[in-house]
Amino acid sequence: MAGLELLSDQGYRVDGRKAGELRKIQARMGVFAQADGSAYMEQGNTKALAVVYGPHEIRGSRAKTLHDRAVVNCQYSMATFSTGERKRRPHGDRTSTEMTLHLKQTFEAAILTQLYPRSQIDIYVQILQADGGNYCTCVNAATLAVIDAGIPMRDYVCASSSGFIEDTPLADLSYVEESAGGPYLSLALLPKSEQIALLEMNSRLHEDHLERVMDAASKACKDVYAVLEQVVRDHLQEVSALVGDRGAA
Amino acid sequence: MPLEPNGFVQLFMSPTESEVILSQQGLRLIPLGQWVHLGPSGTKLRQHKFAELRLGPWQQHNTHGPVSPNDWLREKDFTYKKLRALLSDARHDCVFFPNEFQHYAYLPREIGESVEDWQTRCIYNSCVWYYQHCHAMVPVIMVTEREEIIQRYSNETEGVYVLSFKNYLETFWPDLKAAKELYDSVRQALFERETDSRESNGKEYQEHLPLEVLEAGIKSGRYKQVSQRRQSMAQTICSELTMNLAMQGVLSVNKHRSQMEAFVRLQGLAGKDSDLQSDVLIHGNKARNRAIHGDVVAVEILPKCDWKGRIGALCEREADERAVDTQSEVMMTGRNTNSGKNAQKVLVTPWDYRIPKIRISTQQAEALQDFRVVVRIDSWESSSLYPNGHFVRALGRIGDLEAEIATILVENSISMNPFSEAQLAEMPSNSPENPWRVAPEQCDRQDLRETHLVFSIDPIGCEDVDDALSIRALKSGHLELGVHIADVTHFVQPNSYTDMEAKTRATTYYLADRRFDMLPHILSADLCSLLGGVDRYAVSVMWELDSATYEIGRVWYGRTIIRSSYKLSYEVAQQLLDGNLEPLGTEPELKSLSQDSIQLDRLLWAIRKLTEVAQAVRSRRDMHGALELEGVEVRVQLGEEHSIDDLVPKQPLQVHETIAECMILANHWVAKKIWESYPQQALLRLHPPPRQEFFKELKESAQAKGFLIDTRTNKTLADSLDKANDPSDPLVNRLLRAMATQAMSNAQYFSTGSYTEDLFYHYGLALDKYTHFTSPIRRYADIIVHKLLLAAINDGPREPLLGNKDLEELCRHINSRNRAAQHCQKQSTELFQCMFFRDKDPESDQRCICDAIIYSIRTNGVLLFIPR
Repeated sequence: MAGLELLSDQGYRVDGRKAGELRKIQARMGVFAQADGSAYMEQGNTKALAVVYGPHEIRGSRAKTLHDRAVVNCQYSMATFSTGERKRRPHGDRTSTEMTLHLKQTFEAAILTQLYPRSQIDIYVQILQADGGNYCTCVNAATLAVIDAGIPMRDYVCASSSGFIEDTPLADLSYVEESAGGPYLSLALLPKSEQIALLEMNSRLHEDHLERVMDAASKACKDVYAVLEQVVRDHLQEVSALVGDRGAA
Repeated sequence: MPLEPNGFVQLFMSPTESEVILSQQGLRLIPLGQWVHLGPSGTKLRQHKFAELRLGPWQQHNTHGPVSPNDWLREKDFTYKKLRALLSDARHDCVFFPNEFQHYAYLPREIGESVEDWQTRCIYNSCVWYYQHCHAMVPVIMVTEREEIIQRYSNETEGVYVLSFKNYLETFWPDLKAAKELYDSVRQALFERETDSRESNGKEYQEHLPLEVLEAGIKSGRYKQVSQRRQSMAQTICSELTMNLAMQGVLSVNKHRSQMEAFVRLQGLAGKDSDLQSDVLIHGNKARNRAIHGDVVAVEILPKCDWKGRIGALCEREADERAVDTQSEVMMTGRNTNSGKNAQKVLVTPWDYRIPKIRISTQQAEALQDFRVVVRIDSWESSSLYPNGHFVRALGRIGDLEAEIATILVENSISMNPFSEAQLAEMPSNSPENPWRVAPEQCDRQDLRETHLVFSIDPIGCEDVDDALSIRALKSGHLELGVHIADVTHFVQPNSYTDMEAKTRATTYYLADRRFDMLPHILSADLCSLLGGVDRYAVSVMWELDSATYEIGRVWYGRTIIRSSYKLSYEVAQQLLDGNLEPLGTEPELKSLSQDSIQLDRLLWAIRKLTEVAQAVRSRRDMHGALELEGVEVRVQLGEEHSIDDLVPKQPLQVHETIAECMILANHWVAKKIWESYPQQALLRLHPPPRQEFFKELKESAQAKGFLIDTRTNKTLADSLDKANDPSDPLVNRLLRAMATQAMSNAQYFSTGSYTEDLFYHYGLALDKYTHFTSPIRRYADIIVHKLLLAAINDGPREPLLGNKDLEELCRHINSRNRAAQHCQKQSTELFQCMFFRDKDPESDQRCICDAIIYSIRTNGVLLFIPR
């Protein structure tokens, strides 16, 4: 039986995108006043909220303290209403623990932690609506939040996913494409230096194709980078204008 | 309406399936990303209708079909397939327009609006958008069958016309009677179907199961629901079957007993389920339950004690099999029954006797008596003994040669239109005033004109010379063997019209008395053909051979310029090889040689050396188990004006083998090369080992004569066939070889990305990699291989190669076309055989009597082997 046609003969995907096209990205920084940094991010229908606290003194047990750098503490969660099926999602289930770990790895690689020895940076992300590429949206949102918090990083961390369907690498998979069972690769990239912060892939893929799929993912990351940078610049302009106004007044 | 067909955008739409086609001459000026939308599919019947009308010859030159399949539309759906074919073939000039993804063409669905209305509105909106997009310069026509749509939209926007199909045909194509007739025939069939369904009388057949039930049943492997409803009717030939097992397979009707017996060959399942090795027998028409040869069916195996099983339901009609099951040739029978107006219902008898008679209604029943006609099966109600169909077109009178040939072509779904002007315009010219010359910019080709003695050996009268050979001694003492193949890819640009046409044809079709070329005549018989005495482009493979052992050393592949010195025929070459110099006097091409003994000696040496090399290569292949198989081919000797002089079996000569061996060698080495360069997307040819059960007959026959045939591997088979030689009766060996040939599976093309390497093996030739490289003039696969090879050696323009998936699809197409070509050739030869014997009196004419050997006895007949 024929399943859903994920890529039509004419090269259109289910939602009308071409193979290398991203979903629409919309983002806002500084959405919460009480946090040190925060951001809201939409990639298509996937929506995420990221909040950053710190750097501050180590909370809880002092044993975690690192003497040469800061501890990055991440927490990933999904809202009960984020998926098609309404479901209570307790903290610490297997998927979210894994995601937490991935985020931690990603940001330890990107944040200049050695500038803040014996301190802690908290990054909390929550998925409000899940429509594929949850990890990627979380990373992108957290990047904006970290920037908003003024924590120095090596570079933006931009994440995007890619898959491989019918001999064609697809960028930025949606939920439908993700759940089709094909290969799924998520990549977190420091776009300027092209260093990889995190690379993960599930399902089988012939190694001959890997390069093309990687290329698609890194291209998507760079596209994301362009958008994020614009968001940050716009935000700064807005904020500085406000400050300027106040200064003038 | 004072509209003219040219310069209009015409948009076809049938209401229920909301499929749309726009057509306009010169639409290609408008950027890609045009058109409209295809909605839910309606009845099968309507889909057929529109598909057919659209593909009619009158639209070929200016149809642009901008259609987007709805995402839920099933891939196997008939219309969907047709549309895909239409879109992928550039000759139809169809464009795809995803209107749902186009900002200005998109309309959100309103609350309470039915899907159908919404889609109609979308399509209309797209038309309006397109009209405006073209700055209101090009009127747009939307064609629909639904009255209310015409009323609602026809006056809404100026320049966008909404017409009914009938109206459209009458306005724009008043001269096309055929279209009108077809339209009426479809209308009639539709109308009757509606009336028929209302008067439901006694049921002849069980209803088919709904698809969901079936799918569930097939998935679980059980069919509880079904077995309760159905009682056993037919028997299975399987011995140990689980009760109530539901299976899916392809129905094939027994050739010899089409009324009673049909078999279902199971798909895939057989391997998983070791019990089910065998095919399933479907006994009787009731059990067959309206399935037709070639359909995919689900069957239910009935309790073992009954030995019975039957068709549960028709899953789907494979669109690939369309030619057989929906377009069968038919002969009118005398049974006409009047039914209202002046339309008559008639039963037509398919040409392929495995297909039941078909009921059609037509107004020209009398005129069509004793004609071969094309009909299409529309439906088969459970209340009816026969399927319903509609008349498509007439081919000619029964018994007429042209009509019969046309029948063979249609039956194999081969449509041969002459090459269009656009295709011929791409061709280079070669006339006496303006002769074609080697272009100076081609100097990067290796020039072999001066250095190599190149000659070709082909059948008498051959025009398309694909291959030429050369052999010479090198200074190093080695031999250099060269195989030079016509460089077709130089002339046929990828995705040009000629390329498209060649891809569709896939092969040259040889009938007994004519042929249909894959490439236009100027290429196939002139510019590509490696004729004697003229400069030609070639792609060459050259081996350095050890002069004593003929071991292969270095191999060189590349583009060359050659000039073939002699165009020999097999017979002449054989005579030269045997030392018979007689042809020197008779063959005009060789005349010069009779004076020039140095040249003659060179040629004789080359032929002799070639034969030796070929023998050495052959014996090396034999050690690995290459098979020598017997196939009796009959050639029809045609006299003047298509009279048939005689039937002559082809005579195998030693030179045949020499040439064949050189070609096999070239193919093998090219296969190796392209596979190494493109392990995922090389086009190779494999020959799977035959199924052991097919050898049963062979083994039994051999045993009757006291020979043992070991069929475990191709090596043992070849050896035991060699041993099975009765000195007193040479026919025994030939018969056994012929039977072994019958047991073989078909060789096929494939893309290397789709199979694992151990499956690449060519059983018959005993080679691990094989492909077709040596006949690009008459096989499309060879053109692909040429492209691959040239890309692999970095020669020629870089163009994207086909990916694995596209290549696999292309291979399937080529394979099916090849099968069609074979059937077609066989059937046409049979036709001529029949015509030959028709006029002969068996009593008086010696040629009608000969000896034959019975080699098998069936329940309803015997099978004969005629040695002559």
